Formats: sequence, structure tokens, C-alpha cells
Amino acid sequence: MITAITLQYIFLGLISLFFVGAIGSLLFRKNDAVTSLWSNSFAILASLAGLLFATLTYLYGHSLSFSLGAIALPIFSLSFHIDKLSAFFIFTISLISLLCSIYAIGYVTHFYKKYDLGVLGFFYHAFILGMLLVVSSSNGLFFLIAWELMSLASYFLVIYDRNDPSNIKAGFLYLVMTHAGTALILIALLLLYKFTGSFDFETIASLSGAIPLSIKNSVFILAVIGFGTKSGIVPFHIWLPSAHPAAPSHVSALMSGVMIKTGIYMMIRVFLYMLWPVPTWWGLTILVLGSISSLLGVLYALTEHDIKRLLAYHSIENIGIILLGLGSALTFTSLGLPSLALLGLTAALFHTLNHATFKSLLFLSAGWVASQTHTKNMEEYGGLIKYMPYTALFFLIASMAISALPPFNGFFSEWLTFQSLFLGITLLSLYTKWIFVLAAGSLAFTGGLALACFVKAFGITFLARPRSEEIAHTKESSFFPRLSMGLLALLCLLFGIFSGSLTWLLQTTGKDFVAFKNTASFVSVSLNQQVLIGHNFSFISLASLFILFMFIILLVIYITRFVINKNQKISMGTTWDCGTDLTGRMEISATGFSRSVIVIFKGILRPSIQHNVEYHDSESRYLAKSRSITLGIKDIYQSYFYQPLHRAINTVSVRIKSIQSGNINAYILYIFMALVVALFFVL
Amino acid sequence: MNILFSQFLLQIFFLTIVFLHISKKNFDVVWAYGIQSFIIVLLLFNSFLETQRTSLLLITLLVLIIKVILAPGFFTRLVKKNKLIFSASTYLNIPVTLIILALLTAIAHSNTFAPLTTIIPANKILLSLALSSMFLSLFLTINSKSALSQIISILSLENSIVAFAIFAGLEQSFSLQIGILFDISVWLFISTVFVSMIYKHFGSLDVISMKKLID
Repeated sequence: MITAITLQYIFLGLISLFFVGAIGSLLFRKNDAVTSLWSNSFAILASLAGLLFATLTYLYGHSLSFSLGAIALPIFSLSFHIDKLSAFFIFTISLISLLCSIYAIGYVTHFYKKYDLGVLGFFYHAFILGMLLVVSSSNGLFFLIAWELMSLASYFLVIYDRNDPSNIKAGFLYLVMTHAGTALILIALLLLYKFTGSFDFETIASLSGAIPLSIKNSVFILAVIGFGTKSGIVPFHIWLPSAHPAAPSHVSALMSGVMIKTGIYMMIRVFLYMLWPVPTWWGLTILVLGSISSLLGVLYALTEHDIKRLLAYHSIENIGIILLGLGSALTFTSLGLPSLALLGLTAALFHTLNHATFKSLLFLSAGWVASQTHTKNMEEYGGLIKYMPYTALFFLIASMAISALPPFNGFFSEWLTFQSLFLGITLLSLYTKWIFVLAAGSLAFTGGLALACFVKAFGITFLARPRSEEIAHTKESSFFPRLSMGLLALLCLLFGIFSGSLTWLLQTTGKDFVAFKNTASFVSVSLNQQVLIGHNFSFISLASLFILFMFIILLVIYITRFVINKNQKISMGTTWDCGTDLTGRMEISATGFSRSVIVIFKGILRPSIQHNVEYHDSESRYLAKSRSITLGIKDIYQSYFYQPLHRAINTVSVRIKSIQSGNINAYILYIFMALVVALFFVL
Repeated sequence: MNILFSQFLLQIFFLTIVFLHISKKNFDVVWAYGIQSFIIVLLLFNSFLETQRTSLLLITLLVLIIKVILAPGFFTRLVKKNKLIFSASTYLNIPVTLIILALLTAIAHSNTFAPLTTIIPANKILLSLALSSMFLSLFLTINSKSALSQIISILSLENSIVAFAIFAGLEQSFSLQIGILFDISVWLFISTVFVSMIYKHFGSLDVISMKKLID
């Protein structure tokens, strides 16, 4: 029998485990092996407790509300409200934390005697705890504390490898951006407080009718920018491609896999729970932002040579896909179509879970490659499949999942998102229909480009011949990283196979909201995992897909073996290349692979080519000593948004600097003037 | 105490601040502060007579010792030791200074500040005058070039706040008053050391000479 008290104890237990893990990591910091064991064991235990808690909360069936301590402040309380949405996010965070912690046991060995593992363990626990508190808090001020804990802990994890100056720079950018976002979130919460007199989420939700529409709109804009900055929505994403790769790989996996989803969680919480009902333009704005983020995210990923930056850009793309689901949910709910809205929300939640699994797997496998080759530059990889076949297999599975290839999980959540968008195109009026058309087109483009990008990432990294000497010294992942990656790969497959059941389960999450109370489901799932949308609008059957794929594979084998190679004798020999030996330099490079796509999208990517030739003789131009081509991609957000903004702030700052005269009298005058003006306003 | 007498005392208090603005001699500044503090002692003593609270008598005695005897004594010794007979001039000349003082007094008496000055309607004029004294003390800090005048202006501001509190009937706890007095004692000690150091380093108490400290 599950009771609220039991759940409370489990929740407090998991918080305590993170505390003990964090403090113990610092206490045992002198011994690297002990610290690693302590830190990761407690993280594993706490994550298991998190999984148990989330599962039991789902089974319990009711929301759980409780407070810690007896703080007598009317506006602040350590209060928690855990409904199915919170439980879903706790489940996702705990699942990825569990697998990342298992991975870390083997991975952090390369930090031994180089960095302080106690510090890593401390901030790692604080980071996960921060994320769990963010998705379970129900008081605005308490939420901000949890948000800040998560942000600061992740900042210290980003700059953990402090010997690389680029990591420090990335950390600083992250710190600035995350606090700019937090400032906007704070303003949004203060606006809500002004009109409801409370920071409690439930109270705000119950009094949301008293909030004027103009204020609701302001809160929406502030929340989209504030939470969007953390989620990495274009154009507030600039910190993400540099910060995620800078952190240790198991932290990158957590940041990319789950941390950025806390922004999505809060958007759902604010828009669909606290401020519902919402105007139509909110949903359409989210749809447009999602379309831009997904398309630009994948385009910039294609141009990357740094494997972790490439993956980071794909996080932006996938956040865009999640936003497409959320945007359609908001639009449908505003137009009085709750069943369709529930479908959109289900698609968003399903992709949240799926992205967490395959993106973590990608970061973990890429992290192992980077730790072995001592570089993140893909141009120096090649042929790694021979040295680390398991890691290659796991990377391949994750690549297929992120490219939305069945039977892996990414396919099913993107399929649901497509259905949601297609329903919008079919049912809505002309003006909104075209935004759904744009979103569906963007998603289709994104899917194709993501596939191209992962063909490049996998091919350049694992196939062909090694392009650097380091490759020969690389080793396959050790037991714990392999176990962790293997489990994630299995989850990618299982979440795909049981996508029908998961769709059904995630729909119940949405039904916890007032917006979807007693809403008839638009999706029906049969026992054989067949998912049917509406009354024969569309359907997908895993069994049919499986048969289709088996048929295609067998057909390809048959055609190759018995039609193409019929009467042909195959003899194996060394590859002939005009009499010269084959080297890694003769292979297609990552740059070469993506060049054709860059040329197609040159209007957006603004590529630049610089040819450098060095001659043997400075007088003669016939004999070149060396030739090099530098390909550059212009970052349009930097060029057209952040740099002009930076210049404007700089100009204003220089002007304002003149008031800093160094004269104490002047400073007191400013205070005096501020006081008089404040009194004029207040009195 | 008769309200007219209270008003008379407060007017003298106000005039001491005006005097602080126009005075050029440091001794005069110190004396004016001493008189101002003595008026505060009289007002506090009057409160004691009205309320018969022993704690108020203790505070009155402490204010007498610290603000009327010790603080002027400290400053007099400082002036004598460093031979700072004349203070540095103000940023604005006397006519402009007086115009601004008039403006600030008018602002304090305006209806905008009525919520503050009508806390006790019967004391409206007294509270307006106390508020003017606060503004004038703050302006003295801004306008003065001498570090000594600035220190005294801050002490004068503190006296103005006490005067305002007395006429607004704001009950201040004994511990709070003791805390403020202790704070002033420590502050006096530190500022005296600080002023001596400034004088030794720059050979002047003119804050303009410290401009070279900026980046």
C-alpha cells in the first residue's frame, strides 16, 4: 500500500543521499579511488531512490504536496508539489543520473592525480539535487534557490577542467547567460506575485484569472526568454555549444540530456498549469521558435568538427522538436481542442525522455573516444571501430535513434510530433495552418539533415582509416562505461518497441492538468503496440514496421547476393590507388562531407573560404611548398544579434562611466537624488 | 515642554546646519555640532520628563557624554593637532548654496512629504523642520570639500533623524539607541584616525586632492 507518508520518506531519503554523497566526496578527497567510489555509489543509490519514488508516485495516482520545516515567512516555504509531470521529470533525471554515475566509475579514472575528484563529486551531487528540486518545488522563491543551485553547480562542473582557458571562457559565458535568464524569470515571478499575492504555484494557478492579459503576455515573454536561455532556444543558445563540451563527459550527458529540459518543464508548468487558459499566439510563437531552433541547430551541427560541439548543437535541434510538440499543445488548447493538445504535449514529453536517453548515450560514447584520443576534433579520428567496437556500436544505435530511424525511440516521438502538426494543418484555419505547415516542413528538413550529420559523425569517427597516430593507442571502454552505454542503448531500443505503452503512460501525465481533465484521448494503443491517431487519421504498428524492415533487409541481401553478384567471382586484394599507399589523408574529411550541405544553405551559414599557399621561392609562383584552405562559418546570431548588442552596451557603459568621477561628493549626490526621487514615487 | 519652546530649539538646530554650510572655520563647525547635539540632549531630556522612562534618561546621559563632550573634544584636538584652522571651501558659493537650502526646505515642507510630516498632525511644522534638517545635512555632505565637514555632516544627519523620531513619537528601543551610540563612538574613533591619515598623506583634507586615487 503506497501512502503519501511513505513517498515523503523516500523523497527525503533521496535528498539525504545526495547530501551525504556531496559532503563525503569532500571529506575523502585525498584518495581519488575512494572519492570516486563514494561519490558515484551515493549518486547511484540516490538515483535508484529517485526512480523508485517516481514510479511509486505514478502508481499512487495523486499529487503529493508537503513542506519541510516550519518557516514562518508568508512568501517563502520549502514546499513541494509532485504531480505526474514532476514525477516524469524526476524519473528522467534519476534514470540518466543513474547511468551517468555508473559510467563515471570508469571514466573519472583519467582524472586521477590531475584534478580534485572531491570537488567534482561535491558539485555533481549538488547539480543533480538542484535539478530534482527544480522539478519538485512549488514555491517561486524556493524554486529560484533550486534553480540557482543547479546553475552554479553546473558552472563549476563546466570549468572543472580549468587548465584549458577555453573552458574558463565557456564557463563565464554560461554564467552570464544563465543569470541573465534567471533575472527575467525573477521578474516574471514578481509580476505573478504582484497580482496574486503569492509565490505558491498552486495559489497562482487558482488566482490566474485575476491576472490581466497584458501581464500574462509579459510573463510569457519573460518566461520564454528566461527558461529558453537554459533550454538553449535560438537565439539564446550561444552558451550551450561551448559549455556542454567543456564539462566532463558524464556531466555533459546530464547537462544536455536533462538539465536543459528543466526549462521545458517550467514552460509546461507556467503555461499549461499556472497561466492556463492561454492566448493562441503563445502556441504559435513557440512553434516558430521550435522550427527555427531545430533547423538552425542541425545546420550548425553539420558544420562542426568538434564532436562534442556537434552533439551540443543537436541538443538545440532536439529542444526545437520538443517545442514543436509543446507549441502545438498550447495552440490546440487555446482553440478549445484539448484532445489534440494532449497529443502535442504527449509528443513533447516523449521526445524529452527519448532525447535524454540517446543524447546521453552519444555524449558518453563520444566522451570515451575523446578521452582516449585526447582530442575532440573529428578530423583526427577514423577507423576507431577496430579499436573500440562496442563504443562504435553504441554510438551507432544512438545515431540511429537521434536520426529518427525505426525501431529506435527517436522515430516514435518524432512521428507523434508529426501527427500533431499534420492534425493542425488539417483542422485549423488558414493563418494558423501555415505556421503548422512551416513547422512540419522544418521538422522534415531537420530529420533529413540530422541523418546526414550522423552519417558524417559516425563515418568520420569510426570508419575508414585512422587519421592520427593517437588512434593506435586507444582502448575499448572499460566495464562500467560499457555497462552504462549498453543499458542506454537497450533503453533506446525498448522505448521504441514499447512506444505504444509509453504513449499511453505519458498521456496520463498530461491528464493531471486542469486543462486536460476528463479529456477524451485522441490516441489509442492496442496490446500489440499499435498506435492509432483519431478515427483512422493515421496509425503505426511496430509489428508491421518490424516485418517491413526484415523484408527490406532480406531483400537487400538477396539482391546483392543472388542478382548483382550472380556469376561474379569475388577476390579480395589491396586497394589500388595509382601505385601509392592509401593514407588517412586520402579519405573524405568532416569538412568535405558537410561542404555540399553548407553550399546549399550558404544564405544562412555564410561560409568563407581562405586559401593560403606557401612557396619554396618567394620570387617564383610555380612551386608551392604547402597549400591550406581555411573554411569558416559565420555565426549569424553572433554577427547580427550579440555583437551589435555588445557594442551598444559598451557604448552606453563608456558614457555611463563618466559619472564614476572618483569624487565621494558626487556619489552622495547620486544617493541623495535617488532618495528624493524614490520618496516622490513612494509617498 | 511647551511646543513653542520645542519649535524654538528645533529652529536653532536647523540654523546650526545652515551655519555649517556657510562657516569656513573648523572650530566653528565643531562648536555648531556641539550645540546641535546639546539641543538633541534637551529634547531627549524633555521626552524623559514626559514619559518618566529611566532608559531614556540613560540614553540622554550617554548622548550628552558622546555627542556633546567626547565628539567635539575629539574634533577640537584633531583640528589643533593638525593646525586645520580653516576648512576647505564648498563646491558652490554661498548665495547658490543658500538658494538650494531654501529649495530643499521648501520641498520638505511640500505636500508630497505630507505622509511623513503628518505622522502626528500636531507636530507637522516640527516634523517638516526636522525633515528639512535631514535634507540639509545630506546636502552638506555633497557640497563640502573638507573631509572634516563631511564627517560632521553625517553626524548632523544622524542628529536630524533623532529629532525627527522624537517629534514623530517613534518609540525607539533602549537596545537600539545603545547600539547607535556605540556605533557612533566606534565611527568617531575610526574617522578621526582616517582623517589624520588623509592629512598626513595628502597634506590636506580637501577631498579633491584624493582624485588621483581613481583608476
